[in-house]
Amino acid sequence: MKATNREWISGYLFIVPSLVLLFLLVFYPLFLTFLYSLYDMSLTAVRYLGWSGYARFFNNKMLPLVFRNSLTWTLIVVVFQFLLGMSSALLLNRSFPGRALVRGLVILPWVMPGVIAGMVWRLIYDPQLGLLNHYLRLLGIISQPLIWLSNPKTALYAVIFAAIWKGFPFSTLMYLAGLQIVPQELYEAADIDGAGGWIKFRNVTVPSMRPIIVTTLLLTFIWTFNYFELVYVMTGGGPGEKSHIFPTYVYDLAFKRFRFGVASQFAVFDFLFLLIFSLFYIRTSFKREGSL
Amino acid sequence: MKKRFLRYHTTTLVFVFLLLFFVLFPFAVMVSMSLKAPDEQFTSPPYLVPKRPTLDNYFHVFGRGSMFARYFLNSFLVASLATLVVLVVALFSSYGYARLIFPGRSFFLVLILLSQLFPLAAIIVPLYRIMSTTRLIDTYVSLVIGYLTFSVPVGVWFLRGFFLSIPKELEEAAMIDGCSRFQAFWRVVVPLVRPGVGATAAYLFFITWQEFMFALTFITSETKRTLPVGIFDFVGQYETNWGNLMAASVLICVPVFILFLFVQRQLVGGLTQGAVKG
Repeated sequence: MKATNREWISGYLFIVPSLVLLFLLVFYPLFLTFLYSLYDMSLTAVRYLGWSGYARFFNNKMLPLVFRNSLTWTLIVVVFQFLLGMSSALLLNRSFPGRALVRGLVILPWVMPGVIAGMVWRLIYDPQLGLLNHYLRLLGIISQPLIWLSNPKTALYAVIFAAIWKGFPFSTLMYLAGLQIVPQELYEAADIDGAGGWIKFRNVTVPSMRPIIVTTLLLTFIWTFNYFELVYVMTGGGPGEKSHIFPTYVYDLAFKRFRFGVASQFAVFDFLFLLIFSLFYIRTSFKREGSL
Repeated sequence: MKKRFLRYHTTTLVFVFLLLFFVLFPFAVMVSMSLKAPDEQFTSPPYLVPKRPTLDNYFHVFGRGSMFARYFLNSFLVASLATLVVLVVALFSSYGYARLIFPGRSFFLVLILLSQLFPLAAIIVPLYRIMSTTRLIDTYVSLVIGYLTFSVPVGVWFLRGFFLSIPKELEEAAMIDGCSRFQAFWRVVVPLVRPGVGATAAYLFFITWQEFMFALTFITSETKRTLPVGIFDFVGQYETNWGNLMAASVLICVPVFILFLFVQRQLVGGLTQGAVKG
């Protein structure tokens, strides 16, 4: 009993610095955000609204738009990062000359700082200077240069494409690591049964990699939902606030219009929505490790 | 049979080529623009390969009237400081989580995971107000503190994985030989986990080096700006100095790419460890 007590004490001593920091810097501010969301707060005045503030929040015209944008943005990015990540992992798992180099190069977009990626894609999409319009015209797909990032119909999708490019290497890394642990005997057995490539992929590869796929999907979902830089740098939520997602809109409300109360309401909604997915992720991590 | 073999290899190479084109095209655009003189930057239609490549943009980025060198230094300072603080804190905590049994361990671990996942937008308003009332706004300290919010959980989680990969028996043997728990940790386990510490440090540096939202919010004076915010100097209200901007971008990418090159294997191991354990 004494020995376990001593282990408890040293356990707490080891973790206490990080816990103090987290409570001070993460959980206390989170609590404050909840608190602020009950107030009408600007730079000059503070007025208590209580829950009636939330009644106003749910009538806010921007809420459905921002929520829909956030979902569109996240779902499309996650799906395409999965498809691209998985197919590139399968490709890079084959043997060909220069494979190590290619594997290294493929990771680069993920390593590139987000702000820079946003700038480079802004240049690519630029109506005059951008190569995209030029190439599309050469191919005869468009006749007039398109203003990708200034057209409310295309702005969000243009950023989505850049986000897929930026983030898919993470999925590639995860699936490439996953492919190494698929038991080779299963492939051999499938070969004996005369299974083709697709059947093998569906019945051997995917089931063996299921935990990795679930983890990666959840992680990319959460990260993409929270991703601020690309939208902020490429469109700033525009044109006409049509491409805002939660992080950019919260930032805009708070630091461009100084409406801290409303910003906090959006932040609370954002947090609670993501909490569901975070808890799923945490559950799968725990399950995988057995007991933590 | 030989024909099928050949076809398999040809399709592989074609797809590898397509993948590389997709991945590298934006890098080509960035480097190309950084090497163009002003008259080439604005030609219509645009083209990828500069006709008369020049390093002028790079010289200009470091030239007179440009704050770039200063921003570089600021970024380096803030990222290094944050990385150092997190490493010290996380080294202890992650060991505690990896090795010691105490009530509430799972709960605290959930908190660590949770704080790694939740949106920074959800705490930026109160953090900003806290920094204002404590008069920390517009200091390096405010950024380092801000960066702790997301890098402490990441650091703890990463290092915990590396600790778990080291056999328990080593420190148990050390403790039987008379080491205290702390001595066993410090003298036996920490040296073994050094490659993992390196990879974690690289990853922490990488995420703090490019942080944008806090840097945009907490720093108000030009002399304390970090790179991700600083490059907006080249973006004017009416026109953007693309040549300089892209030269600066190349220079910002280079340190993280080099860093990544050195720790690639451990880093990929650290990123995928949790998921691959099966």
